[in-house]
Amino acid sequence: MNKKLAIAAAAALAVGLAGCGTGGQSDVSTSGGATVGAATSVELKVWSIELSDNEKAAMDELVSEFTTANPGVTITIEQRATDPHKEALRLALGTPSFPDIYWYWEGPGLGGELVGQGASLDLTPYYQQYGWDARFGDSVLANITQYGGYHGVPWTIQGEALFYNKTLFDTAGITKVPTTYAELVDAADKLKAAGITPFATGGTVNWYVMRLLDSLIETTCGAGLADQINTLKASWAGQTCVNDSFTELKKWADNYFNDGYMSIDDTQSNELFYTGEAAMALQGSWFDSDVKDNGMDLGAVGVFTFPTGTGRLYGFGEGYYVSATTDKADLAAKWLDFITSTDKQKQTAGMFGALSVNQAVQPDATNPLNQLWPAIFSNATGMYLNNDQNLTLANTTEYWRIQNAVLTGEIAPNDAGAQFQKFIDANG
Amino acid sequence: MRSHVPSNQHRRRSHGIHRHPVLSSIPYLFPAAVLYGVFLLFPMIQSVWLSFQKWNGFRTSAPEFVGFANYVRLFTADPVFWRATRNSVIWVVLSLAVPMVLSFVLALGLNRQMAGRNLFRSVIYIPAVFASITVAAMWKWIYNPQYGIVNETLRAIGRGAWAEQWLGNPKIALYSIFVASIWQGVGFNMVLFLAGLQQVPHELVEAAKIDGANAWQRLTAVTLPALRPTLVVVIILTIISSLKVFDLVLGMTGGGPAQASQVLALWSYQQSFSNHVFGMGGAVATVLLILSLALVVPYLTWSLRGEED
Repeated sequence: MNKKLAIAAAAALAVGLAGCGTGGQSDVSTSGGATVGAATSVELKVWSIELSDNEKAAMDELVSEFTTANPGVTITIEQRATDPHKEALRLALGTPSFPDIYWYWEGPGLGGELVGQGASLDLTPYYQQYGWDARFGDSVLANITQYGGYHGVPWTIQGEALFYNKTLFDTAGITKVPTTYAELVDAADKLKAAGITPFATGGTVNWYVMRLLDSLIETTCGAGLADQINTLKASWAGQTCVNDSFTELKKWADNYFNDGYMSIDDTQSNELFYTGEAAMALQGSWFDSDVKDNGMDLGAVGVFTFPTGTGRLYGFGEGYYVSATTDKADLAAKWLDFITSTDKQKQTAGMFGALSVNQAVQPDATNPLNQLWPAIFSNATGMYLNNDQNLTLANTTEYWRIQNAVLTGEIAPNDAGAQFQKFIDANG
Repeated sequence: MRSHVPSNQHRRRSHGIHRHPVLSSIPYLFPAAVLYGVFLLFPMIQSVWLSFQKWNGFRTSAPEFVGFANYVRLFTADPVFWRATRNSVIWVVLSLAVPMVLSFVLALGLNRQMAGRNLFRSVIYIPAVFASITVAAMWKWIYNPQYGIVNETLRAIGRGAWAEQWLGNPKIALYSIFVASIWQGVGFNMVLFLAGLQQVPHELVEAAKIDGANAWQRLTAVTLPALRPTLVVVIILTIISSLKVFDLVLGMTGGGPAQASQVLALWSYQQSFSNHVFGMGGAVATVLLILSLALVVPYLTWSLRGEED
């Protein structure tokens, strides 16, 4: 009996350790259209990040309309959470199970990696056939053409900026929206003096604090050098502006972040903004609907770009990519043309992002915050990308570790750049 | 009469079975051996094999043999590995010290006849049936610096200065998670100890009492020796579950802040499935395997030998 128990314990050890080498799970759901005539039916397989209920309803409607108009076509959309989605694409690439179309972020560390692995089909012929150049415009297409040719079809374009509570700004005596970094710091000082938390963020999701660090790097280094170091074409070590960025980050954390920011996530910290306990949040255009859904007075909320001084807007794009190995590229292009058409983009306005990638489509008018973004985009001289899309996944993990270690005082701000460069050099 | 005289053939067959018991058991063991090989040994070997490769997880990129390069990188250039190792060792030591003792004390207490005994046993055991990720979600709210019950209670009793970022302070994050682990795990060990205590011969305890042994003497000279088999199981299971700790850390801090609460099992997973450096992930898993075997096998061997003696 006792030996059996001991053997069972040893078996548990083996099972547990074997489990160390595997993992990941996926949450798969499908939506499909009618299949007419088994002999002529064709299935288009799409892999996507998880959709919210509203997004899924909108997508189901698009699928239904397309499959009705194209008898015999079935569209299957498999959704996964972020990490399982990345993992599934890696494992499936080069196998028959790879989808005909996949959704992905467009930045070089993510979308660019898959393009580099030969996962994506160059869609140049389809851009010419459907006139997509004119539909999307240069700024949206910049992320699509950055790898040479046309990789992917843009689906969302997300800007990120400072959402602010006008009432709290008034209470603190801030009479105008900050247009320089010095004015932003001055505003934060006034808010703090008035007993208001200037800035809401959550540290357990590293990317939320990272947005401020990215913007500080853009501010202190300027657009040119920031692009160089973020794409690892210049060293992070020995850069005064990098040291300054980390020093400013620490200053913001010590003085302007909500108490206990390191222990909470984005959901918990956003609550501080919704309830009027914090005055600012560095969020994206998707946040418009969150602000509305959480019952804030939309007239009391404003949006202004982080005053980096470079004129560029912080943000990123997400797109649908057609598999390089699919034998249904024509149908895939037809589907992507359908969902990005002016008619369908108007139909789904505000569902997948505040702005449409289709230039002819105006923002959804039911949310006044959506109306602010066209001017923000048109006033921008370019875009700078979130560093978790610039960097490889391993480098991103280290970037976040160093960012957080600076915040907790384990790494001096002036050592941060050198430590990051050391990791990059050692790990290739 | 014939039935009393076994045929030569029958004698030979019986003799053969006794001479080759291993051979005769093979058909019965084969299905289990196949399952064990495919689902346990093969993944373990593959994980070790992966630790000598450089691979980004794409099937289109063939793994490249790099010898011990991943181990060199792990030991010399990975800023997280040594912290994760230290945290895993701390977790093992604390798990052997705190929840095990606590569960033993609870088992002793709840082994007596008392009102509400079964209710107490159930209440203490219930957290063990919760999924770890559920426990993590609960304790994240308990530790919430603004609304969490811990800080709220401290403020309510006038000890607001003691309110902390329980999961955000790198110096205490690991220990804060460990408290949740105690809450979840103490009931399971208690049940094992209770089962063991049922096996302690009552007459031995009574005899010791008649001989004048006090409660401490009865515990150390009678109960604990009789509990040795149970202790072996509990200690081994505790070491295993401590080295495997993963989901609580993932759910409460993700290894943060700044990897301060990182542990080996989670780091192996994150290297493989978040960072997609599968060779490094395999190297961490292999180190964990060696560490586990180094801790468990000698103890298991010693315990079983002692039992046979």
